Amino acid sequence: MTGKIAIVGAGPSGCYLAQALLKAAPELEVDIVDALPVPYGLVRYGVAADHQGTKGVTRQFARVFERQGARFFGNLKLGRDVDLDALRAAYDVVVLATGMSVDRPLGIPGDDLRGVYGAGRLTRALYEHPDAEALPDLGAHPLIVGNGNVAIDLLRLLAKAPDEFAGSDLGPGPSGWLAKSGIETITITGRSAAARAKFDPVMVKELGKLTGVRFDVVDAGDSDDPAGAKKIEALAGLSGTGARTVTFRFGLTPAEVIGQDGEVRAMRFATATGEETLPCTSVLTAIGFDPSPDLPRDVLLAGATDAEAGALAPGLYATGWFRRGPRGTIPENRADAQALAARILDDIDPDLEKPGRAVLDGRAELVDYDGWCRIDAAETEALPDGRCRAKITTRAEMVRIAK
Amino acid sequence: MMISILYGTETGNAEMLAEDIQAELEGDHDVTCENLSDVDPAALDPNRLYLLVCSTYGDGELPASAQPFAEAMDAAKPDLSAIHFAIFGLGDSEYDETFNHGPKRLAELMLAHGATQIGERVAHDASGSDMAEDLAFPWAEEIVGQAEDRLGAAA
Repeated sequence: MTGKIAIVGAGPSGCYLAQALLKAAPELEVDIVDALPVPYGLVRYGVAADHQGTKGVTRQFARVFERQGARFFGNLKLGRDVDLDALRAAYDVVVLATGMSVDRPLGIPGDDLRGVYGAGRLTRALYEHPDAEALPDLGAHPLIVGNGNVAIDLLRLLAKAPDEFAGSDLGPGPSGWLAKSGIETITITGRSAAARAKFDPVMVKELGKLTGVRFDVVDAGDSDDPAGAKKIEALAGLSGTGARTVTFRFGLTPAEVIGQDGEVRAMRFATATGEETLPCTSVLTAIGFDPSPDLPRDVLLAGATDAEAGALAPGLYATGWFRRGPRGTIPENRADAQALAARILDDIDPDLEKPGRAVLDGRAELVDYDGWCRIDAAETEALPDGRCRAKITTRAEMVRIAK
Repeated sequence: MMISILYGTETGNAEMLAEDIQAELEGDHDVTCENLSDVDPAALDPNRLYLLVCSTYGDGELPASAQPFAEAMDAAKPDLSAIHFAIFGLGDSEYDETFNHGPKRLAELMLAHGATQIGERVAHDASGSDMAEDLAFPWAEEIVGQAEDRLGAAA
């Protein structure tokens, strides 16, 4: 089987898709395009700095380039450097695997106050994404809205003691910021009861290892449902006698962020019995992600030939979070990518006249896979104490090293 | 020797390691590599050595691709008394309470149905500094050496 396939987005979904396509049909020309000069997307900039084991999937992805023959076109932004129509004209198949990266807003009064920050914005800064905004002052009493795994990740990072980042790739800037944060209490709030909280129990159990924290779990309730009971059991297992207090609250529906002089002072919630206001110095939202406005996702999905299978239009497909929405773990995106690979191989009708990668080659600022290997080597050759990687943090430096 | 490497995977890491072990052994042996999801436990062959490579997922659970195999085992209760296996686990000590529970459960399941385990269950830690294959290749060589004595001429 021959054919030219461009995958937009070098995160886990895009890499798993290339892996599955090339495993089934090694002769395909598979090119993975990414707006960043570096591959792996969410694995590099979304998986927590202290979850290096989870990042181990990049060894598989490296092989997609090194052994399976996929090519990386980094620092090439769809819509700016090449538009979707041009890509579709050049390739037999184009797959959108750009994920979702925009923090979903609270949509309540006060959500535009200074001191309200999205989890994506904060974690991008913590993980040194080149486009990240600076890390802000959260004050002594941040309040997290949301209790999915992203919220738990953020909580853990804010609550950890500096020496607990040993072996991570947390950079010197973020490490210093965390060490000087002055955080005394962290409150984490969920809309549902504890039994229906979105976190995985294993994520909460991990919090139990933190040394500098004491926990206060308020009204976790009980549950007849085994999955719910596991969540409650994980919460019940949290103890600790550290100086920082982490409080879990449930059944709180955000109603208003209350400010004074433009700054966050408290958060008001609706509860089952009325309302409750919790004082705080910042509000950190982890309630999901929206698509980037760079691509007309809603229009593409609304007009899709088979949205469930990821078929948007002839020769145009979507996978991962871009297709399904911002839910599901890396393995779920692997399964999704494998199913889409089978569909593409069924559908593909190669046109030998299509130029494929010739339309991308030769651009001055492109970073190819060898370029990424040079960046990777630079990031891992001289390691600071207790770190497994020192990320290059700007595009300009990445591009310079890649050359 | 006839060897079947069977992997239980969720992220693909165990699959990659299984393929690496296959490549390492196939110069000297007849080696196949299959996903546990495609294997019927009642159809295991006493003349083969089974090398299981299995990860852990979630809260100490079997990875998705090992679950149909475990369910078929529970349902059919096959007699595995003539089957020899060894097992290599992949895990992450960040989650220390459930570290390598998936392969542990899979080994227990094989033993409960009468299969004979060769060698010790070895565990790789994704949060450690070793590469999985650096532990798995010597493990596989050692297991195959032991199995040649045990399975003898049959293989």
